Amino acid sequence: MKLKSSTLRTFTTLHTWVGLVAGFALFVAFYAGAITVFHHELQLWQSPHAAGRPQETLADAQRLLDETLQRHPEARRHVGMLFPGEESPHSIIYWQDQEAVWRFATLDDLQGSEKPPQAALSELVNALHYSLGIPIAGTYLMGIVSLLYGIALFSGLVIHLPRLVQDLFALRPGRNLKRFWQDAHNVVGVLSLPMHLMFAITGAMLCLVLVTMMVLNPLIYRDGLMAALPAAFDTAPIRPATQEAVRPGTLAMWHARSVEVALQQGQQSFEPAYLKLANAGDRNAVVEVTGESPGALGPLGAVALDANTGALLRTQLPGARDANHATLASAYALHFGEYGNAWVKALYFLMGVGGAFLFYSGNLLWVESRRKRRQQQQGRAQVNLARATVGVCIGLCVAVSTAFVAAQCFEWLAQRREVDVASAIGWTCFATWGLCLLWSSLRTPVRAARELLWLAAVATALVPLAHGFATGWWFWKSAAAGQWGLFCIDAGALAMACGFAALARATARRAVTGEPNSVWSS
Amino acid sequence: MMWSRALAGVLPGFFLSAALTGLVSWSWPGPWQATVVPAITAFFPVWMIVMGSSFLFTTGKRAWAWLGAAALVGMGALWALQAMAWIR
Repeated sequence: MKLKSSTLRTFTTLHTWVGLVAGFALFVAFYAGAITVFHHELQLWQSPHAAGRPQETLADAQRLLDETLQRHPEARRHVGMLFPGEESPHSIIYWQDQEAVWRFATLDDLQGSEKPPQAALSELVNALHYSLGIPIAGTYLMGIVSLLYGIALFSGLVIHLPRLVQDLFALRPGRNLKRFWQDAHNVVGVLSLPMHLMFAITGAMLCLVLVTMMVLNPLIYRDGLMAALPAAFDTAPIRPATQEAVRPGTLAMWHARSVEVALQQGQQSFEPAYLKLANAGDRNAVVEVTGESPGALGPLGAVALDANTGALLRTQLPGARDANHATLASAYALHFGEYGNAWVKALYFLMGVGGAFLFYSGNLLWVESRRKRRQQQQGRAQVNLARATVGVCIGLCVAVSTAFVAAQCFEWLAQRREVDVASAIGWTCFATWGLCLLWSSLRTPVRAARELLWLAAVATALVPLAHGFATGWWFWKSAAAGQWGLFCIDAGALAMACGFAALARATARRAVTGEPNSVWSS
Repeated sequence: MMWSRALAGVLPGFFLSAALTGLVSWSWPGPWQATVVPAITAFFPVWMIVMGSSFLFTTGKRAWAWLGAAALVGMGALWALQAMAWIR
């Protein structure tokens, strides 16, 4: 394929600017997203006593359901709950109160609160991932960033297409640093292109699906979209309440029936994960049990039952579901890495960090390709972009690790006095990030990079220490007790700390022995 | 010049992508309700490609003219076919 040079130039400009604008937000999304892959493990890691406690039984969960329906009449209309299982050993129930605000309750907190229990850290990292931590507008912002991301991928592919195959295995270290960074950026970009395409599309969809549907509804669906959505998204049919009270079925019955139905319909296995219950206690009560059938790309399928009699109403199971449910389940599983086994999660973590590297290297490439080779003084724009890259990207790594340490400290403190753990962790994270940005704006880029990398190494190394001191779960103890989730987080933090230290040393070495006349030389 | 082409991709490009998505999803065998989730999912990459392709035009004016005309034709065709109930 041959492109006109003017087209090539346009697309290079497009790729550069879209990449620069979206790159910062995407670095945050990828770094935080890589950690969010382990959000279940993170919740266990944050709760001081969860790891030692025995898993709840269906009888415990039944007690939670009964108490909730009795205490909170608005939950009878519609309520969801997690089955106690490997991923979440303690059942959580959730519903919308009169003001349509979600409330979460557990057996420890039957009254319920607006925040899911012991999930502050994973919620914070998740919020960074999908909204940069900005309420409401942040989600739309990230939706727009996802669109720019898609355009950056498209333009990057157009520029690189003519030499895609020749350059794929070329990584040329040596005197020409721009060449080296370009090669690294290209090879990571091309090899992870399928993953990036998937994230750009599913990310844009997850952030913008509601507004897009509202706009597309009159344009192409003749205002019939909203009526079509329940059947497209849910499995259970909508049945209006009759106001006739009936003795309801039990969790144990729904659990057993859903497994029975799924096996009858040819599933190898079916592990109920959560349920949605509508019109509890009414003659027309409906329960939808969503469960996992391993081996499918979209492993989550659902069985809808009459909640009182257990009679089968409808199913949407892997291999036998309609196009809407198959697309939704696959898109969801692909984005969150919730298919396959633990290796998929590990791979998603590595790909997330690799993606963060791609955006970081893109910024470095911009600085490097505009380097003034014959003078120490570099351009203002280059210095500022280098500063911003260091402050935002490395600063985020420092802030996230600090939030991990803070989570352990404040949970420890919360057992002794009244502390709002969630907001304390949030404040620590954003204050740290702000200070890092301030620091990098005051120092030369190379100094700021070296110092913040060392700070990231120290903060990250403190993560397993804080966990050990606060809860007694030192990582060798976790490994011995088979608590692999806890072990992976602590060991992963140590590995990341070593990585940051290595980068800090490399930056220091480059400043002294590397080519002079650069923002990275001292 | 970049901005004008970018806007052409965003505005008329949006309607063009909507029309393409609508035409495919309504002409697909079976009622459109059966493929509504794949259609909305597909809308995003379609729009991304249209926004990227708007830079293939040499000037902003051309981009606006071509994409605008294509959007009008696409939406017109979709609405006409829907009104005549040829597609559902």
